[in-house]
Amino acid sequence: MASATATYAPMKPTKAGFEETHEQIHKIRITLTSKNVKNLEKVCKDLIQGAKTREIKVKGPARMPTKVLRITTRKAPCGEGTNTYDRFELRIHKRLIDLYSTAEVVKQVTSITVEPGVHVEVTIADV
Amino acid sequence: MGKKKFIDKKKAATFQLFARDSSDPNYSNAPGSDKVFVRVDNNPVSFNTVFDEENHYYGDTQYNDEEDSRFADAPDDDGETDDEYNRVSGNPSGAAIYEKGALPENVRREILELGFPDDGYNYLNHLREIRNTGGGSAFYPNPKFKPDQLPHDVKAYDASRVHISESKGDYNEKSIYNVASKTVNARMQKVVDPEVAVLLDDSDLSRFGSDVEDLEEDFVVRANTAEAEDDENDKNNKKLNLVEEPEVSNKGVKDVSDQEFARELKNHVVDEKPRLRRLLDEQFDILQLLEYGSDDDQYEGYMVEEEEFLADKLKNVLNENDMDELEHDDKYRAPADVLHGSERPKSKELQDSAADVLRRCAEYAEKYENECEDEKVVIVEESSDESEKFDCESIISTYSTLDNHPGKIEAPEVARKKKLAETVSGALSAKNKVISLRGKEKLPVDFLPNSRKTTTEKVKSAGSCKPEQLNRKPHGQETKEEKKERKVAVKAERREARMMKKAMKELYCSETQQALKVAAIAGPSSIRLM
Repeated sequence: MASATATYAPMKPTKAGFEETHEQIHKIRITLTSKNVKNLEKVCKDLIQGAKTREIKVKGPARMPTKVLRITTRKAPCGEGTNTYDRFELRIHKRLIDLYSTAEVVKQVTSITVEPGVHVEVTIADV
Repeated sequence: MGKKKFIDKKKAATFQLFARDSSDPNYSNAPGSDKVFVRVDNNPVSFNTVFDEENHYYGDTQYNDEEDSRFADAPDDDGETDDEYNRVSGNPSGAAIYEKGALPENVRREILELGFPDDGYNYLNHLREIRNTGGGSAFYPNPKFKPDQLPHDVKAYDASRVHISESKGDYNEKSIYNVASKTVNARMQKVVDPEVAVLLDDSDLSRFGSDVEDLEEDFVVRANTAEAEDDENDKNNKKLNLVEEPEVSNKGVKDVSDQEFARELKNHVVDEKPRLRRLLDEQFDILQLLEYGSDDDQYEGYMVEEEEFLADKLKNVLNENDMDELEHDDKYRAPADVLHGSERPKSKELQDSAADVLRRCAEYAEKYENECEDEKVVIVEESSDESEKFDCESIISTYSTLDNHPGKIEAPEVARKKKLAETVSGALSAKNKVISLRGKEKLPVDFLPNSRKTTTEKVKSAGSCKPEQLNRKPHGQETKEEKKERKVAVKAERREARMMKKAMKELYCSETQQALKVAAIAGPSSIRLM
């Protein structure tokens, strides 16, 4: 029995690459950057959802520290007056999503409507 | 530290997602195909991916081409196995990796059009785009350039309207000019017919060659005898030889008699129609007359000028010389003699001419002067009305600002007097008979033109002070309230005084200055003013 169970131990759903030999599994990293957190999070959510429905191994979203670009300028156009300053900032948010799948699948996954202002970059490497 | 990277970027292909151009054939509004992945890295890695669609072949074939074209004949080495691994295996997208060495059709066509040979080499690589940024020569395309026009050294004129008079043999050398004068100077394009051009082309010099065999043996003699008769004819003949055949021309000469021929020549010359007088010609003549006058007038005018200068010169000469020289020593000396130091003219003619010149001098000078008298003398008079009337501006401008400082010119003050009257009356009706002089300047305060209130107040306050002073209790016997009241009264008084002083000062600052000035000038210097 034990051996039977061992034999019939539930196998993990095989990775697509294992079964389909003609399509290679790649390591794919999707980098999402945006100034707008809301849109970015929405895209992340959609991507991960899409990946999960296709049962691909997904890691993410990894949130990188937000880069804040600050510009501090005098408010006044001339030099007169109390020296007041404007502090402008631009926040860049970055998320990473890692997948292990074929390129075809990834193309499908990323064929969602991308929100405006979200920049998508895909890096593929061989496993 | 020791964390294994998920992806090594240097060994990976990176794509970025961009929106697809709507003019792209693959574009559609579906979420799948309105974006496209574009490869952004340059790593020597290629993937069999659907990510690069149209760029697929580009990325690979570029690499392949390089390999093939430059190192095609390199010996295979072990590195090839790695390359194979990386190289595209199969072509799922079906993108064209075209055959090695063949240029695409459109490129080939272009090369052929430009005239380069079709040997598989892409000559287009060596073409330079014509732009004006190149150093040295700049190509500017001429919009009016028509490459199939006449070359510039060929001039064609329109002679379609020329009437060539019939002539018995074209012997008049001037006839050609007649013809030319009647042509219209219209530049014609594409006039030179190729056939005509061929005919005109005298490369074979056929017309210069003479048919020697046609001449008779004694043609020289004949020619010479003909010359003796009529040189002109022969000259013409010689000229015409160039155009016509010599045989014909010789015959022509022989046939026509000299007389007739000469007459014909004359007729030809006479037959020239005089040039038709146009309106423009008449206008020109009129203009000429107006501008330049007739010849005589012009000449005369010039002469007059000359003589006038001479007359002036003579006058001046006399002035320069001393009085002594003018004394004639009982001999009459003409001005010319004085000039030249009583040099006698050599000949009588000179003398006469000199006299004549002098006489003419005088004449012309007179004439000139007389002419001047006839002219109207225009005297412009200023209108007297305007100049005699004075206005304030002129008055002010004639005076210096030392006396009339602009800041001080003001309308006479009527209100001032009124005020003065008020104050005087007010002051007179005051109780006090003493005129109190107050302030630094010691002015009679009550009499100054101030509002009546203040003066009355002053009077009142002056009056009111006294009862308080009278009511003052002896020292040490005042109650607190009384003390307070007293103090308050004193303070009020002082406040009033201060206000008065300030008002006074403001009112009379100018007056004080004047007074100080006067005092400074007039008063003794020992008195301190300020």
